[in-house]
Amino acid sequence: MLYRVAGQFKTSYRADQALFPVKQDAWLLMVILVFAWVILPWTASEFVFQTLLIPVLIYALAATGLNILTGYAGQLSLGTGAFMGVGAYACYKLITIFPEMNLFIAVLLSGTFSAMIGVAFGLPSLRIKGFYLAIATLAAQFFLVWLFEKWPWLYNYNASGAIQVPNVDIFGLHVAGPLADSMTQYYFILIVVTLLTVMVINLTRGNQGRIWKATRDMDIAAELIGINLMRSKLLAFAVSSYIVGVAGALFVFLWRGAAEPNLFDIELSFRVLFIAIIGGLGSVLGNWLGAILLVALPVLLNTVPELLGLSIKSATVEHINIMVVGGLIIFFLIVEPHGLAQLWRLIREKLIIWPFPH
Amino acid sequence: MTYLKKLAAAGLALAVTAGAVSAQELYTPNLSYRTGPFAATGIPLMNGQRDYMLMLNARDGGIGGVPVNFEECETGYSTEKGVECYERTKGNAIVTQPWSTGITLQVLPKTNVDEIPILAPGYGFSPMADGKVFQWAFNMPLGYWDGASMILNELGGGSPAGLAGKKIAFLHLDHPFGKEPLPLLEAMAAEHGFELVPIPVGLSEMQNQSAQWLQIRRERPDYVIMWGWGAMNAGAITEAVKTRYPMDQFVGVWWSGHDADLRQVGMDGKGYRSISWSMPQPDGGLMADVRQHVIDPGASMASEEEINGVFYQRGLVMSMILAEGIRAAQAEFGTAEIDATQLRWGLEHINLTAERLEELGATGMVAPFSTSCANHTGHAGGWMLQWDGEKFVQASDHLTPDLSVINPLIESAAAEYAAANAPWPVNEACEG
Repeated sequence: MLYRVAGQFKTSYRADQALFPVKQDAWLLMVILVFAWVILPWTASEFVFQTLLIPVLIYALAATGLNILTGYAGQLSLGTGAFMGVGAYACYKLITIFPEMNLFIAVLLSGTFSAMIGVAFGLPSLRIKGFYLAIATLAAQFFLVWLFEKWPWLYNYNASGAIQVPNVDIFGLHVAGPLADSMTQYYFILIVVTLLTVMVINLTRGNQGRIWKATRDMDIAAELIGINLMRSKLLAFAVSSYIVGVAGALFVFLWRGAAEPNLFDIELSFRVLFIAIIGGLGSVLGNWLGAILLVALPVLLNTVPELLGLSIKSATVEHINIMVVGGLIIFFLIVEPHGLAQLWRLIREKLIIWPFPH
Repeated sequence: MTYLKKLAAAGLALAVTAGAVSAQELYTPNLSYRTGPFAATGIPLMNGQRDYMLMLNARDGGIGGVPVNFEECETGYSTEKGVECYERTKGNAIVTQPWSTGITLQVLPKTNVDEIPILAPGYGFSPMADGKVFQWAFNMPLGYWDGASMILNELGGGSPAGLAGKKIAFLHLDHPFGKEPLPLLEAMAAEHGFELVPIPVGLSEMQNQSAQWLQIRRERPDYVIMWGWGAMNAGAITEAVKTRYPMDQFVGVWWSGHDADLRQVGMDGKGYRSISWSMPQPDGGLMADVRQHVIDPGASMASEEEINGVFYQRGLVMSMILAEGIRAAQAEFGTAEIDATQLRWGLEHINLTAERLEELGATGMVAPFSTSCANHTGHAGGWMLQWDGEKFVQASDHLTPDLSVINPLIESAAAEYAAANAPWPVNEACEG
């Protein structure tokens, strides 16, 4: 009833291949976009910006980057955290060496550095696969974090070994650093994230996306039909690391404000990987659902006892929270092993024939 | 993506509830870590802090008649949770107690904008002592550079000059916290002609330091100075026992003097020293009040074993410093319900004299000190505590840091910080 597709005729191939062949999907997206661009930012408090909206955007972007590599091209990576770090340190060096540089450009440029490093660490993927490749990317993880600690030039010889985001303005408007307003930062991130998400959607639907999927599904067969595996895999590493690097630059510059090397430790890699897996590998929507489940939900759960007027000790709330989120992850993976995106796909299919199923 | 709508609804609900301010109280949230990898060291400190405030509420009805709301927000020592807690509490809070160096570094630049004092007693960033630059940050009674200087004074027999020609290994956590004292140690090594061997311990190697101790065995340093935290302390102490490094040549910072770490090795750890700005006084007047009003009624979360320990008692001192700041502000502004700006004034005018400590029943728990607009640390000095096989006992007279070396370092580091974060407001009005 809500999702009635009857009457929506496709009269051309173009209409049939549209991003949203069903009108309701397009409307739904419009509603969400209006929320993301207008309603949420104008109603959100500082707390909502800093703990819900901004982190969800950044983690979803990082997961999108990883999803290209793992979900579309089938190369398991455990080095996401370190690649985010490369983006963050690159952005920090760019901004401190060229203080006049526009932060948009710096953020987008810093992705190229992590793309280069990603390709370098992606070279073993030509010879090794699966879990063995995961170990190789793990080497990248440990090596890069070690480098962030041991190479003082990266953090400008700061005594504490951490990087601190200076005040950065674009045409007089503070976008990064302590003086920046949360709403400005939110819009900055939203613009970058929207741009990259549109790019990823188109990339994965087009020729390159099909090449990656072929590589993922059976690389020997892909090679036999004329796909250059080296190009396909390395391009996946490059694009993935680029997006992850941009997410890392946003992570530190537009959200955290300061970072020590161990911020980019393996826990961050796992967190992004879990977002991608629970959201759904090989899907763009999944990254968003996963980020909401793993990043926003714990914050919301923390406020529940207070809203209900219960006085529970903060540490106990934290323990309950970890258990609830852990339980939910297991529940969702049992209900739908292919992730939340697949769950939504099934719900949508049911909605289309509701209330008269076959 | 329909989740976004739910998110929005929840966000709105949050925004509404966040605005509701409760009745008369002094809201001093603590960003605690009773969970996570550092919980073992965090719990006694948090219990001490909490119990002191509970004692004031029970005994005097709070401070100046207004009860203290010493709510905890759990961070698990994670910077991400720390920022969440900071954002959640900053609306009504008059102070923020960040507790980890990572969280402090992140919150520090925001304090000028949000105008909330950061209270980081004995931790955080050493240059915070410069109140002109760090107008909202406080790390009384001692910074890490003070601690390093005091250790060198004691090891050199009164002055670091006595260390000439010696070799000192500096075993530290490879993290902003562990690297803190390096600039001072390097400056002192160059000036007084001793050799400094920095030995970093990565966060992932905290529990297995065999490589580091192999290096120590090879280098044969005259002394080992340790800047450790959490699992690193226990790891280092057990390794030192295993490699038979002489314990009386092994000195730690105040965070490396946790009773539970030493109890693991017992008599083998005898002779280990830790510099400290606080000292347990289990039989003092303050402790008697805490026992009467908090522990005996069963309101405390602390175990009997930890109550007499260094960390629990240090927690008491931390809250005592905050309470003194609140009192100073209340007296100056003639109102019991002070705000964050007024508390900042109060924290800048703490005057803990020996007489005042006597009144508080805290004689000997911390050395007398005072703060000012320009001096946010107070440089109280402290004592060497020594492990006698069962507990920590005082092993030195009152030690003081060498301010003639530290002050120029503080000034240059603070200026560097302000320059890197320009435009950074500097309060030139302060004198002294």
